[in-house]
Amino acid sequence: MKKVDRNIYLLGGAQTDFARNWSKEGKGVLALLKEVIDDGLKNIGLTYDDISQLNKQSRIACFVGNFIGEYYINQGHLGALLTEVHPAFYGVPSARYEAACASGSVALDAAMTKIRAEDYDLGLVIGWELMKTVDSKSCGDFLGRAAFYEDEAAGIDFPFPKLFGKLADVTIDKYNLDEERYLDNLAKISSKNYSNAKRNPNAQTRKWFMNEAQAKARGTVTNDIIGGRLSISDCSQVTDGAALVAIASEEFMEERYKSIEHPVVVKGWGHRVAPMRFGSKIEASSNNEYILPWTRQAILDAYRRANMTMDDIDVFEIHDCFTSSEYAAISAFGITDPGYEYKAIESGEVFFDGDKPINPSGGLIGCGHPVGATGVRMILDSYKQIAGQAEGLPINAC
Amino acid sequence: MNINVVTVIGANGTMGCRVSGIFASFGDAKVYMVSRELEAAYKAKAKAVMSVRAEAIASNLIPKTYCDLEECISESDLVFESVAEDISVKKNVYKGFAEYVRPNAIVATGTSGLSVNQLSECFDEKIRRRFVGMHMYNPPYYMTLCEVIPSRYTDARIVDEIKTYLKDVLYRDVVEVKDEPAFMGNRIGFQFINEAMQYAEVYKDNGGIDYIDSILGPFTGRSMPPLVTSDFVGLDVHKAIADNIYHNTSDYAHKSFAMPEFALELILQGKLGKKSGCGLYQTVVKADGSRIVNVYDIVTGEYRVREQFVFPFAKEMIQEFKVGNYAQAFRKLISNHSVEATICIQFLIKYVIYAISISKSIGEDIHSADIVMSRGFDWVPPLAAIDAFGGVESFKKIASNRLSKEFLSSIDIDDILTDIPRSRCDFRPFFKAR
Repeated sequence: MKKVDRNIYLLGGAQTDFARNWSKEGKGVLALLKEVIDDGLKNIGLTYDDISQLNKQSRIACFVGNFIGEYYINQGHLGALLTEVHPAFYGVPSARYEAACASGSVALDAAMTKIRAEDYDLGLVIGWELMKTVDSKSCGDFLGRAAFYEDEAAGIDFPFPKLFGKLADVTIDKYNLDEERYLDNLAKISSKNYSNAKRNPNAQTRKWFMNEAQAKARGTVTNDIIGGRLSISDCSQVTDGAALVAIASEEFMEERYKSIEHPVVVKGWGHRVAPMRFGSKIEASSNNEYILPWTRQAILDAYRRANMTMDDIDVFEIHDCFTSSEYAAISAFGITDPGYEYKAIESGEVFFDGDKPINPSGGLIGCGHPVGATGVRMILDSYKQIAGQAEGLPINAC
Repeated sequence: MNINVVTVIGANGTMGCRVSGIFASFGDAKVYMVSRELEAAYKAKAKAVMSVRAEAIASNLIPKTYCDLEECISESDLVFESVAEDISVKKNVYKGFAEYVRPNAIVATGTSGLSVNQLSECFDEKIRRRFVGMHMYNPPYYMTLCEVIPSRYTDARIVDEIKTYLKDVLYRDVVEVKDEPAFMGNRIGFQFINEAMQYAEVYKDNGGIDYIDSILGPFTGRSMPPLVTSDFVGLDVHKAIADNIYHNTSDYAHKSFAMPEFALELILQGKLGKKSGCGLYQTVVKADGSRIVNVYDIVTGEYRVREQFVFPFAKEMIQEFKVGNYAQAFRKLISNHSVEATICIQFLIKYVIYAISISKSIGEDIHSADIVMSRGFDWVPPLAAIDAFGGVESFKKIASNRLSKEFLSSIDIDDILTDIPRSRCDFRPFFKAR
């Protein structure tokens, strides 16, 4: 595997307030994109004129992360859509990247690749999704297209909570866990992420009430079962939102951001694809100690490229679309051995004040999960931690 | 400050019930919900649980009656009174429990505008030091504002502790406000709403109620138009708030708190708004289940179907907001000299000016009104509205050009708009594209 030989820098960016319902405000995708781009450019100290200038010199490109705008707002060609935001984007190379919930992350990956290849000096990565345009049942059905729709989602209400409910079932079986203890640990993950979100001024749930007892009250009117053993409190919510991060080359940093004392560098990355069908995933991992070996491999790839180990990492932003996925990620990151994830939860290690805090932002459960924006929001929150810009949510990293 | 046990008196009322839910959830406190009848207390408990969407807090909520006051109060770290807005009723309630209040307990009133000084005088000196106004907005799960109103006797250290508790434990947006009639949110909010009602009477031949609401709709920085809000709150409650301010204050906006004749007549007829089936508006459900919204026509005294007014300035602003062009939307408003656009501009400017002057005189600082109006009313914060108008200088210029000479002579606009800081709030979410 080729190591990173040129530094790629994160410059910052912006996100919209994930508590907002843009449909209720009567506003569409252009309003959403204008806000996040205006705020993002302001944050990194650039103007639309700068974009025009950089484009004349062929130094800038845009990378748009979105899962399924064609369904939610009847809009495709989402790279070109930026030209409707501002004429400065006329001619700027721009395309949409899609990989379901990883759409924002693969847009970021593409941006990093093109900066590394010295094609461009500045990449604007813009992830977004407007999901509150439809009722929750239709929303669940649209999201079902991230599974193998024909077999796993067609005609099924809320297919994804059911799939991640199955992940919970398999986790209990594979590691021979006590069901109640496992579910209590999922409730701890949920209440932790809600609690962390209280410190985050952009989190969807920052005003909502959730505690461990309520997260455990599965099967009640206010915490109904939605997928197998999982309840509403185990799920990230339907969210509208956008996030932007800027990725820059060494030359660009040298030219414009020399005064930054501790620039933020992307040290490593990993990207693997798991079998699409849930059944295939589980069958293929049945002889592996990890329940999600492809996640584990992507993390090992990132550690190796960065020449780091888990011990070097102070804080994790991970994809907790459901509590059962955060649970599985704990061992995938190497915080515990597989099958012993509960230790890191019960000891408080992954809590805000613990040694290995997971999702100090609130994660997807606390922040909300506008699908195409999420990967970008995660890297933005990680950037804020490292750059000391995490409003109200800095981790005490040494 | 450790608040483990709370007694809410008047827990069957809308606010008493919902505030119980806040203490029991975020505060994780045991809450005695005291009502006249036990059955009402049980019903209130079920509502409190649903108001914070959390059945897990049910075990924290304990229905009680006035007969249990001694047991409840003597165990409580905080007593929250939420009975009828009548000073003699409140006094009687206070007499009934004062002797049981623990030495370090806090006593709070949820009054929305009665004098906290006067109420505190019902207690002996010891309790007075620990007595405070704690005014939350409805529904408190969504409207996170809490105005804290110390009396002249309240211990300053205790006020700080209460504010910290409300902020850090109950996740309230807290503003300390002087003990002035209706405090801050309702003073600013009902100045706007009541004046809108007066304008409905003045412009009754143009349509009246729905005409004014169409000029001041969600595109002007609020989730619902002002007269829909009044109908929602109830005309009787609106009157109580407006009268209290009218009779007990004397600033330049004094006249704008007088309720117009037609509204007084509706109250006499028992047409109080949404809660009594009709008021300023009336929703009629047809046999096929569809709904028609009627409006009270001030000229005829009858209900008629609500008009869908389309004013060019409003239509243009909404189109611009839809695609996120806020500056263009305001340029279109400012350059429009129609009667309707002028009313709209005047209301927005007067709102900002009144909010700033009230914030300066009874708030913690000039930002207080921003917190109060956004977290209590879901209205655009006044300082943020100045940003939407293009900043202080631009705002001042528009005010001088578009406000009446009579109004301008009643205020010192340069003084009010001196040293205006930038708002800490974002105006964009408040201006709706509808």
